[in-house]
Amino acid sequence: MKEELAPHVHDITRVLGNKVSEQEIERELSSYLNVYRVSLDTAKRSIVKKHGGNPATLAVGVSKTLRDLNPGEQSVNLLVRIVSVNEKDVTVEGGTKRILYGILGDPSATMPFTAWEPLPIPIAKGDVVRVQNAYTKEYRGQVQVNFGVRTAVGKEAADALPEFKPVGGQPYLGKPTPVRVVDLREGASNIAVTARILSVERREVEVDGAPKAVFSGVLADETGKSQFSAWKDFDLKEDEVLRIEGAYVKSWRGIPQISFDERATITRLKADLLPPAERLNVSPRMWIEDLAERGGGADVTVRGILIDLREGSGLVYRCPECRRVLRKGACRIHGEVKGEPDLRVKAVLDDGSGALTAVFDRELTEALLDKSLDACIAAAKEAMSTEIVRDELADILVAQPIEARGNVTSDDYGLMMIVDSAKILKVDVQTEAREMLEGLEGSA
Amino acid sequence: MNREVAWRLFASEYNDATLEAEGGGERPPSYIVTPLGARVNRVFVVGVITDVENVGTDGQPMWRARVSDPTGTFHVYAGQYQPEAAAALSKLKPPLFGAIVGKSRIYSPQPGTTYTSIRPETVKAVDESVRDFWILEACRSLRRRLDAMAEAQKMDPPTKEGLMKVGVKEAIADGIVQAANHYGRVDLSRYTAMLAEGLRYLLPEYRESTGLGDVVPEAPATAKEERSAEPDETETQVLAVIGDLDKDGKGAAWEGILEAATAKGVSKDALEESINSLLDKGLIYEPILGRMKKI
Repeated sequence: MKEELAPHVHDITRVLGNKVSEQEIERELSSYLNVYRVSLDTAKRSIVKKHGGNPATLAVGVSKTLRDLNPGEQSVNLLVRIVSVNEKDVTVEGGTKRILYGILGDPSATMPFTAWEPLPIPIAKGDVVRVQNAYTKEYRGQVQVNFGVRTAVGKEAADALPEFKPVGGQPYLGKPTPVRVVDLREGASNIAVTARILSVERREVEVDGAPKAVFSGVLADETGKSQFSAWKDFDLKEDEVLRIEGAYVKSWRGIPQISFDERATITRLKADLLPPAERLNVSPRMWIEDLAERGGGADVTVRGILIDLREGSGLVYRCPECRRVLRKGACRIHGEVKGEPDLRVKAVLDDGSGALTAVFDRELTEALLDKSLDACIAAAKEAMSTEIVRDELADILVAQPIEARGNVTSDDYGLMMIVDSAKILKVDVQTEAREMLEGLEGSA
Repeated sequence: MNREVAWRLFASEYNDATLEAEGGGERPPSYIVTPLGARVNRVFVVGVITDVENVGTDGQPMWRARVSDPTGTFHVYAGQYQPEAAAALSKLKPPLFGAIVGKSRIYSPQPGTTYTSIRPETVKAVDESVRDFWILEACRSLRRRLDAMAEAQKMDPPTKEGLMKVGVKEAIADGIVQAANHYGRVDLSRYTAMLAEGLRYLLPEYRESTGLGDVVPEAPATAKEERSAEPDETETQVLAVIGDLDKDGKGAAWEGILEAATAKGVSKDALEESINSLLDKGLIYEPILGRMKKI
């Protein structure tokens, strides 16, 4: 432990101009790490700040694998393979700037990256590079690696990392571990699940430049539901009960999903081994405080009041390249582009136990407004403002009790539900009041 | 960082609060802790907005609205720092059903006196069904706190861990312990009665005729016992006086009411009591200070 920390202790004392002894720094660092249990990066920055130094001048990053990365890391070192790399021009504060973006991979994961400054060496697909002092951010629930001014990139021998394989990898050793759906956790591999396929569809995706078929859908056992992706055609059929051995678990914005490929074995089981699909397919009604405790949930139902419409609700324009919503006609990444119109609602849904941001897509928004996107564009043109659409939505939705069903994810900004279906809630207030009153009089 | 939840709670419980508490973190939010342990930073209220008045100046308006629920009245203030809510309030034509989302405020001009109010973020006119659903939710929320507080009163002293052991959520347990320390042993029967009152308000079988016909489509059954839901003899007299004096639709002036009531043999004390009671029942409201108007 101590030997591993030595370079970081040197790094801190150097930044502090040797004003503080290494023993002192080592003691503090150890306290931050072992007593307060913060990350090494945070510990280093905190110590430097405490002694009046500038944390930005720290040079020794923390080596990590991609899977270990969290959003908001200030200084990480990576040994990665360039899975893909592209150039693009972005508009930054009036000027045009050429940046690189693409995907990095190591044996633990793959992750998008952006290089905001010209690199000292050209990099190409397949190169293995050592990256020092990169930083991370979160975008749409996914961690992204950024190369900035302080980042150093150097090439390594091609065999410093195993060849990148987009899907699959080493065959699993040993017996798969049986797991119930409710217990799926990100990072688990070589697991066995017994479940009923509730839905499945074939999609074409591009992997490494080549088209590939993926079969995705929803499966369930008595404990819960999960989305799945099969990277091989197992001829999966809706409603059949399977035992899948040799699957692994990935996470999308906090919701674990099950994946399996040619390494998996599928055994078809008797259909009555699990309850019928209607029973497995219910969306559990949940309180937001419980969702907050669990960090989200797949296909849950929440009842509450829409108490506020967030900025960016109504008629919006999206970047044709990355689908980000434009601000003042410009995309954060691609600069000034011709936006594509879209409708959406971002609203605060509060059920009295907690609050989440509910996002309604174009289809749901059109249904709520009872108006098409084209009609909204026409109305906004006539009023010469897109605000008119937002105002109309606020009029319909604010203070309205609704029931919304969808996936709930969580990040630094709290909980978010991508709404699948929603309806204005009609409650038989009298019946419920009568029941509660009877309960009250009964107990009194 | 999670958004503060919007509490649904009755005016009577909210106005009973005298404890202010601060949260943790860099910019600690402030809370009002009610006698039943609701730790309120944000509220969601739906009631009858009975009057809206500019209590500031024309140059620096400060809009005050009174919002009645079956148990009492919320006071809502919006000034220059709540431009949207202030603009919305200024345009309302009371009486109407209104929904308000806002931040809790407590003000203590001198020791022993506290006033609670709401600083609105959002103000919106709604229909009766939204208000009825709100009452149901406020009842549910009250029921949870009553149960938790009853558990707390079995403990000496109540602790967060003890409450969580009997199934009380952490967020509520915190407030319960704070409330128990500040308010001592709260009389729960008063709040149980308030809960029953809220529920009966929703039920037509408890809706007594007020003898006023169509004037009051949903006469609030305010009282804990059925008999006082109806205005008593004096109140009926006072109501009649207010109706007679309100010639221009701006409400009856206090001096006129006092004069007319005295002429009918109602003492000043009895008159004040009747007016307070009528205000509570939502049968009259004060459109501007010193003037009374029938709803």
